[in-house]
Amino acid sequence: MSTREVFDSRREAAAFLLPTILISVVFLYYPAVRAVGLSFYNASFGRPNRFVGLENFLRLVTSSDYHSSVLITVLFAVIVLVGVMAFSLFVTFLIHEVDVGQSVYLVSAIWPYALPPAVAGLVFLFLAHPTLGILTHYVELLFGIDVNWFSNGRQAFVVVAVAAIWKQVGYNVIFMIAAMNNIPDSLTETARLDGVGRVNRLLRVYVPLMTPTLFFLVIMNTIYAFFQTFAFVDLMTGGGPSGATNILIYDLYRSAFQFYDFGLASAKSVVLFVVVGALMYVQFRVSDKYTHFGG
Amino acid sequence: MLGTIVEYSKRWYRAVGGTETAAGGIDWETVGVHALLALSVFLLVLPVLIAAVVSTKETGIVTTPADLVPGSYAYENYRRALVDFNFDQFLLNSFVMSIVIVVGKLLLSLLAALAIVYYRIPYKDFVFLFILFTLMLPVPVRFVPLYELVVNIGWSNTLAAITIPYLASATTVFILRQHFLSISPSMVETAKLDGVGPIKFLVYVLIPMSKGVLVGVSVIMFVYAWNQYLWPLVIIDSESRQVVQVGLSLLEGEAMAGDVAWAMVMSGAILTLIPPLALLVLFRKPLLQTFTIQQK
Repeated sequence: MSTREVFDSRREAAAFLLPTILISVVFLYYPAVRAVGLSFYNASFGRPNRFVGLENFLRLVTSSDYHSSVLITVLFAVIVLVGVMAFSLFVTFLIHEVDVGQSVYLVSAIWPYALPPAVAGLVFLFLAHPTLGILTHYVELLFGIDVNWFSNGRQAFVVVAVAAIWKQVGYNVIFMIAAMNNIPDSLTETARLDGVGRVNRLLRVYVPLMTPTLFFLVIMNTIYAFFQTFAFVDLMTGGGPSGATNILIYDLYRSAFQFYDFGLASAKSVVLFVVVGALMYVQFRVSDKYTHFGG
Repeated sequence: MLGTIVEYSKRWYRAVGGTETAAGGIDWETVGVHALLALSVFLLVLPVLIAAVVSTKETGIVTTPADLVPGSYAYENYRRALVDFNFDQFLLNSFVMSIVIVVGKLLLSLLAALAIVYYRIPYKDFVFLFILFTLMLPVPVRFVPLYELVVNIGWSNTLAAITIPYLASATTVFILRQHFLSISPSMVETAKLDGVGPIKFLVYVLIPMSKGVLVGVSVIMFVYAWNQYLWPLVIIDSESRQVVQVGLSLLEGEAMAGDVAWAMVMSGAILTLIPPLALLVLFRKPLLQTFTIQQK
């Protein structure tokens, strides 16, 4: 028992906790539980519900559109994750290595944290516009390819992924620089005296010591790719062309608010809950393991 | 790729005759690191720089670097975005929403963290876990029932719809709890002996001792609230009540239809970016410190 616990009026404590608990129950727990319930119904707004058992889930299991949406989402998450972490680690290491101008570099690397996804998507849509974009102009010139991602699915996927990576760099650098600055200088000095080059120092000394942070970022970036990239898809591609960027969150939105199939949309919510639950579980287990190692 | 880049920059560095730490001479390796770093952050800033330049032009068609000279339409474009395309209203709506969310979350989370850290109550761990578990329930997981619930309460198109469901914050309660646990227990013991009640202790001791963390979480919450897109999109359908993120998509629709120049759209994008960006630049120090608490 901590000596901080000096107040003992249960009524006061309950009053202080009540607003947070009440909003959690009404707007978080209740809708989440009801989503599970609705997933067993054929339901739409203002229409009586009909119990259909597992039919909605069976539709998901047998729908080839949903399968491809799952596949696209996983691929999208992997590309965003690898892209953003490789670039952020590179930039963070360089910031760590300079003595002059560190704070200016740091601000110019973390600012995309404040970048609204809608702005990032819109700016990229413009820069990579198939006919008007300056980026398109140079990519066509350099690589000799015809950029037309309004009709080419693979290209659309790449453009959305690059925009999503751009926005997430700031968040990653914030955590990576904190972890890298925590590494004792004595270790860096020892590595230098032993003649360990810069690249080896990063990959063999720093990265292993940053593992807990890097792991945390793997989870957070996956959640970002799954849940916070809706605005990119909505603004840039509308899920197309022909489903090439139809990630799960966008697919769910369309079931609910274009087709008003609330039962099926709720089944899709349940699938997403399983995903976020699994990710969080792994995160807690692994961070637990590292705290034990760290003593 | 990283290895290749560094390897090539090393070769280049040897080729130009740089030495490791040549006293007195130019340290080419340091120059190389600066050059790579400057290039990397330039790439990060470049899209927004181009957007800012385009927002000052008449049409916004950019195909060569020569087109990237600032134009003279800045005033006209920003005026039209604000007045003709309702960005004045969108920005105001987003400000009101974000400030209500920040203040509400801060107030509720301070009280909850106070109870969790300084009160002797049963089932405390369970209560804390109950709050933390809401991290697993982002909007997409409870999308349809939340929509039905808010519509049934009669909150469609209201400020309540885009603020109240956000006011419970697992992240903020967690950060504040961690911070309170780092404050010496003698503070509260002394306060208790002096007959200071919990609310006075919160206002006169805890809050002044938590300024940095409170500023940091406020910036995190503001950026989070400001950038909300999906929920306002579905629950607000009156244009005069809409937030600026969705306002941008309305402007984009007009540009895709050819009714509005892209230069106009870019001025809308810059207007939407400025508030969270300004907060990040101004409060970067408390923000960075607060993030290090979050990860623990």
